[in-house]
Amino acid sequence: MKLKVYADRMSQPSRAILIFCKVNGIDFEEIKVELSKRQHLSPEFRAINPLGQVPAIVDGRFKLFESHAILIYLASAFPGVADHWYPADLSRRARIHSVLDWHHQNLRRGAAGFVLNTVLAPLLGLPLNQQAAAEAEKILISSLTKLENIWLKGNGKYLLGGLRPSIADLSLVCEIMQLELLNGKDRDRILGPHKKVLQWIESTRNATRPHFDEVHKILYMLKTKLSEQQSNQADSVMESRIRTPLTSKM
Amino acid sequence: MMMEKLKVYADRMSQPSRAVLIFCRLNGIGFVEIKVDISKGHHLSSEFTEVNPLQKVPAIVHGSFNLSESHAILVYLNSAFPGIADHWYPSDIFRRAKINSVMDWHHSNLRNGAVSYVINTVLGPATGRTLNPKTAAEAEKVLFSSLSNLEDIWLYGDGRFLLGGSQPSIADLSMVCELMQLEVLDEKDRSRILSPYKKVLQWIDDTRASTNPHFEEVHNILYRAKKKFEQQCSRIAETQTKPSDKIGGHSKM
Repeated sequence: MKLKVYADRMSQPSRAILIFCKVNGIDFEEIKVELSKRQHLSPEFRAINPLGQVPAIVDGRFKLFESHAILIYLASAFPGVADHWYPADLSRRARIHSVLDWHHQNLRRGAAGFVLNTVLAPLLGLPLNQQAAAEAEKILISSLTKLENIWLKGNGKYLLGGLRPSIADLSLVCEIMQLELLNGKDRDRILGPHKKVLQWIESTRNATRPHFDEVHKILYMLKTKLSEQQSNQADSVMESRIRTPLTSKM
Repeated sequence: MMMEKLKVYADRMSQPSRAVLIFCRLNGIGFVEIKVDISKGHHLSSEFTEVNPLQKVPAIVHGSFNLSESHAILVYLNSAFPGIADHWYPSDIFRRAKINSVMDWHHSNLRNGAVSYVINTVLGPATGRTLNPKTAAEAEKVLFSSLSNLEDIWLYGDGRFLLGGSQPSIADLSMVCELMQLEVLDEKDRSRILSPYKKVLQWIDDTRASTNPHFEEVHNILYRAKKKFEQQCSRIAETQTKPSDKIGGHSKM
């Protein structure tokens, strides 16, 4: 039976799994689980992942969730996945585990928390929380600094001095890609100072094209929608500012 | 080939440090424990920064190879040292994948909830932070939801350990060590949080029993800290009854 990938392309770890499968020619069926329609909470999906989170996979009778665990499983279970994705060499593999573990409480926490509390929350029916945004920004900037100075040290184009991308590069770059949703000024302020990080995003994108861009399309579409909304809002704020003095005189 | 002895940089007050120390002792791995006292800022020293530029414990140095992040260390030790029983990190690809899955889940759920709750109810002042009741309330939610998921999802089946296992894996050790930090809470609070989760309580006992005497020995520092906090709490309770009423009001906001 074909591998099933349960994913919402709006979720960054979902995108990492989809790109990985496509880049490596893994035959799979993509099953949409729309978070905005709360499909991840349906009894059908709970039977696949009782935690109600995407991505999840079903391979024959085997069910698995958590994107890093899925990437490791796919790299091990499917023949023909090149060694650089998840090296058999003990110490290189250990370092990839290390950066993947670091990702959770650092880059993921910072990036997801910041994007949620500056842009995404209203779309999910949640309030924007400025204090949470400020805390997330601190974690995000500290994570980007560590990527720049520690994890991207050396002459390789990829994490840990790698010459070719690993599952960690794919997972972490997909995480950062959600910053596309921020307004241009915010995005430049946050990412701009991190030149190596910017170069690494480009290298990872190039190494996984055309699948990388294809799977990220949904993000670019949403970005356009959000920037239209923002300019509409800005217009209406201006209008009300002009109107207010008039009404107050009446 | 002779290799220098494994070095484990650890602070026993840190739960992932304890997991790595217990694992080494249990599996007869020869190692040197190098204390990195976080409360004295030793993790920020230039010597330790060379070992782990992220300035976090635990970290290991094995020959010329250094590594940080406790899960990655546990996985590495399993592969690098001969003679470690398969149940710790099974070579079967499916069982291994499930263990990776629960360890990934650990980061943003159980760890997040437990650490933040303990820091914002008890530990904060000892590490130079102020207690934040609102953050504590949020952490409590994450902690409860994580305990429910452990009870209902991860501890499924008849096995005594995670994922239906009949013997412990590195995931059991790592997550039970995480929960052990709840020991420093006052007894009433700890029992309020843990007692509804019967399977979790049984699992903590089973993991402890299967890793003793090392488990207790490495946790001694925690029991001593607990006593110290209890004495502090009773002193604070005597002098600050009113401000603590105010805190109760804040947490409802």
